[in-house]
Amino acid sequence: MKESKRMFLHYVSGLIILVTGFIHLISNNLPGIGTAIHESAIYPVNLIVLLSALMYHMLNGARVILMELIPGRCAAKAITWIVFLVGIALYIYGLQVFLNLFWPVE
Amino acid sequence: MSVDKEVEVKFKVFRFNPKIDFVPRWQEYNVRVDKSTTILDALLKIKEEQDPTLTIRYSCRQAVCGSCGMMINDKQMLACFTRVLELGSSVVKVAPLKNYRIIKDLVTDFEELFQKERQVKPYVIRHEVEELLNPTGTYKQTEDELLGYIQFADCIECGMCSSACPVSATDPLYLGPMVLNRAYRFISDPRDLGLEQRLEVIDSEHGCWRCHFAASCSAVCPKGVDPAKAIQLLRRMLVKKAVLGTSSSKKVDLIPMGHIKGKLELPKGWQ
Repeated sequence: MKESKRMFLHYVSGLIILVTGFIHLISNNLPGIGTAIHESAIYPVNLIVLLSALMYHMLNGARVILMELIPGRCAAKAITWIVFLVGIALYIYGLQVFLNLFWPVE
Repeated sequence: MSVDKEVEVKFKVFRFNPKIDFVPRWQEYNVRVDKSTTILDALLKIKEEQDPTLTIRYSCRQAVCGSCGMMINDKQMLACFTRVLELGSSVVKVAPLKNYRIIKDLVTDFEELFQKERQVKPYVIRHEVEELLNPTGTYKQTEDELLGYIQFADCIECGMCSSACPVSATDPLYLGPMVLNRAYRFISDPRDLGLEQRLEVIDSEHGCWRCHFAASCSAVCPKGVDPAKAIQLLRRMLVKKAVLGTSSSKKVDLIPMGHIKGKLELPKGWQ
């Protein structure tokens, strides 16, 4: 993937975090509309979208920081792959926690 | 401090010869200056009258060649474009530009910078080989098109922006503001068709996306070029291309000119 696409997704995921984070805060703290969201399917779906966006934004940020700390073309490629694999593992773990929480298998 | 008569100013000059010295040192010189004396004049006076071993690089003496960029009182400035008394300081500290290898004293090595510049192909790229070899006219551009990039074309390649850039200081592979500004200058030129050829370099891990927008490059530019803006415009262009998959289609008219007659020969290996 080109760097421009990665960074575009970084900006988009930042905006998604703002929106889904806001919905998450409302649903946990505001009586009325918050409770309604909490009890509907919007709540788990919102959490999963928040998790996805947060994971991408955080790990891409970490990738950029690491690339600046450890200069070198080979290092940049290695960092990208390591962060990608760590991201996949963390995402599967997070997703599994949410799925068990909201849709437990009997 | 009166500016009408000569006054004595102390110069603290960075001295370092990597072939002989283990560590750099500061050497002090007292120089009499008047209101018209530039830092370059004062350094040349030191070299002529006090210490011929002091090494400096300069050429045009009128802020056109960009050779005499150095750290003057810890800021990137052109020595020929800075008057001593305008600094308002009785002690003037002069050091080589940061972020470059020191060749000797105040002279830094720009080879790496120019190698990076070559990667972005800093020239107008056209595909019509026949027209390039046997030019019949000139490519038309409107005033608005010219205004779109003329500011970025003022760069004199003094390298002071890359010296002030915090990312260039930590990432030696980062292209830096000067090179990215040069890339944008040609990409935004309506006559240029070389965006695709430059993409691999500018849209890479060490290309325009590493800019933190500290904007120190724009703050130190002696010609009023705004490399930080060029980088932002470059990013906008790349995002547009990445998301929409389109780049601006450029069409320029060739104005035939009867008096242009010439046959150019391709250098060996040129394709």
